[in-house]
Amino acid sequence: MRQRSLIAITAALAAGALTLTACGSRDDDGGSDSGSGDGTTVVIGVDAPLTGDLTALGLGIKNSADLAAKTANKQKYVDGVTFKIEALDDQGQPSVGQQNAAKLVADKSVLGVVGPLNSSVGESMQKVFDSARLVEVSPANTGPSLTQGPDWRTKKVRPYKSYFRTATTDAIQGPFAAQYVYNDAKKKKVFVIDDKKTYGAGLAGTFTEEFKKLGGKVVGTEHINPDTKDFSSVATKVKNSGADVVYYGGEYPQAGPLSKQIKEAGAKIPLVGGDGIKDDTFIKLAGAGSDGDLATSVGAPVEELDSAKKFVADYKAAGYKEDYAAYGGYSYDSAWAIIEAVKKVVDDNGGKLPDDARAKVTEAMQNVSFDGVTGKVSFDEFGDATNKQLTVYAVENGAFKAVKSGTYTG
Amino acid sequence: MSGTGPVEAGEGTLAHGPPPAPPGPPGRLARRRRTVLATAAALAVLAGVGYLYAGRPESRPDTPPPYPSQAVDLVYLDPVATPRTATAGPGFSFAVALSVRSGPPVTVTRLGQPYAGLSVASSPAAPFQTKPHSVRRITVTLRVTECDKAPRNPGLPFLDVTLRNTRAIQVHSFILGPRYAQHLSEALQVACGNRIR
Repeated sequence: MRQRSLIAITAALAAGALTLTACGSRDDDGGSDSGSGDGTTVVIGVDAPLTGDLTALGLGIKNSADLAAKTANKQKYVDGVTFKIEALDDQGQPSVGQQNAAKLVADKSVLGVVGPLNSSVGESMQKVFDSARLVEVSPANTGPSLTQGPDWRTKKVRPYKSYFRTATTDAIQGPFAAQYVYNDAKKKKVFVIDDKKTYGAGLAGTFTEEFKKLGGKVVGTEHINPDTKDFSSVATKVKNSGADVVYYGGEYPQAGPLSKQIKEAGAKIPLVGGDGIKDDTFIKLAGAGSDGDLATSVGAPVEELDSAKKFVADYKAAGYKEDYAAYGGYSYDSAWAIIEAVKKVVDDNGGKLPDDARAKVTEAMQNVSFDGVTGKVSFDEFGDATNKQLTVYAVENGAFKAVKSGTYTG
Repeated sequence: MSGTGPVEAGEGTLAHGPPPAPPGPPGRLARRRRTVLATAAALAVLAGVGYLYAGRPESRPDTPPPYPSQAVDLVYLDPVATPRTATAGPGFSFAVALSVRSGPPVTVTRLGQPYAGLSVASSPAAPFQTKPHSVRRITVTLRVTECDKAPRNPGLPFLDVTLRNTRAIQVHSFILGPRYAQHLSEALQVACGNRIR
């Protein structure tokens, strides 16, 4: 009787173990929302343009942050904490972004925010978040003043301790583009156009400054109204200027038609822009004539980063309808930085969130360091990413192709 | 039934030692026990192996080494005295530190700079190899070949370095920062004075 029982028990144990292993082997499919069940829910706010012209970039930000939260939940990365994304649409408008910041501050379960896309929107949100000691990590803001103050050229002063970013700044992006245009592309006469916004005007400014230092000549400047799509008069001015290149500080919804209309006006010269135009939509809007146009963007090309390949595969497996776009990797890393900071705070407080969790998370962010999608993620004394890589992309046969990468090591 | 124990003691309820051996030849019993134990052990091993197999890290193909540009740091150190040569004139020399963070050894096959009007040389001269987790100090010397074509005061000048490891060969720009920019501009002023455009 006992012998039979022993066999039965052993068989049952073995079968049970095999069943468990079988369950374990199916761990990969689905269930990415599974959190800690009875633990605490921490909300990571996301602010990005989810409607309007810049939707492609905004949805990439939202989805990538969502993927980070789901990955953390699946791995039970922070014991007892389930992460949830709360995404708000700023429509690319500073005033809407500021309202969103107030909404996120009012929700006490929000312990960090990923976003925004636009530097001008970022400017409008910083003070609101800082007053509430709520940490903000932008994957895409490149305006230097956001981290280094309005006088960053002469005296760098960090305006807000709660603001961080994973993307590098236009203090590097503009000169990097100028160096490529002047030295590699051998263009010496530039016509500079911008959209008068914080990002566009700032980037055009840093490009122009470096281009002139190198010996290049600015043969014309213009500002456009981003609410229109008729740039024919500017295109004519470009044609008549004798420029051999156009630099545009702004975003792809305007850059695409601008490039097209410049070529149609008879100036068969490349248009160059920053990360704001590095989206496939630019090529669609600019048409076949965009071959030869250039864009700089933050980070190294995806194909050079094994960590980025995993992100791309996971993003695809997660089934998001929209592309992760230019800032996907940076958005994932921004969200993961918040997750790391929350983990640090929870670990330091005996496995629970403290009462002053927001302040503690903001404090912890300064020392966050991990190997992310885009490389090593950490922040300097201004809240800027320590990893400062940039890549020049050229439109070739209707697609962006990486042509040169650089790393700032100063 | 209050106050009475189970009619038959269940498994694990015995207070004192095993029950008396059931009747039967002792040799047969021992064989049966051995069979049972062997079966149990085999099943346990099977279960264990299965568990370990299913719980193993996801089998991946061998991870390729990083691209050389993702494994190398190149940072500006300080100006240094220009090595004297019989054929070359004065120049601006500075030291950089090249470190390989990970992956296989990285060879610098070429070290260049993008500006017309300047030439570049290094010590050690390319090609040279640096092992992983090590740092190599390199002296770079820039010489002005044509003042008219030299840059005035580049804000973020860089070096173009061709890097090779077992994964790839790449040209990568290293932007050495404001100290390098300042020292380079000063050197250009000394070399060309007001002859720079």
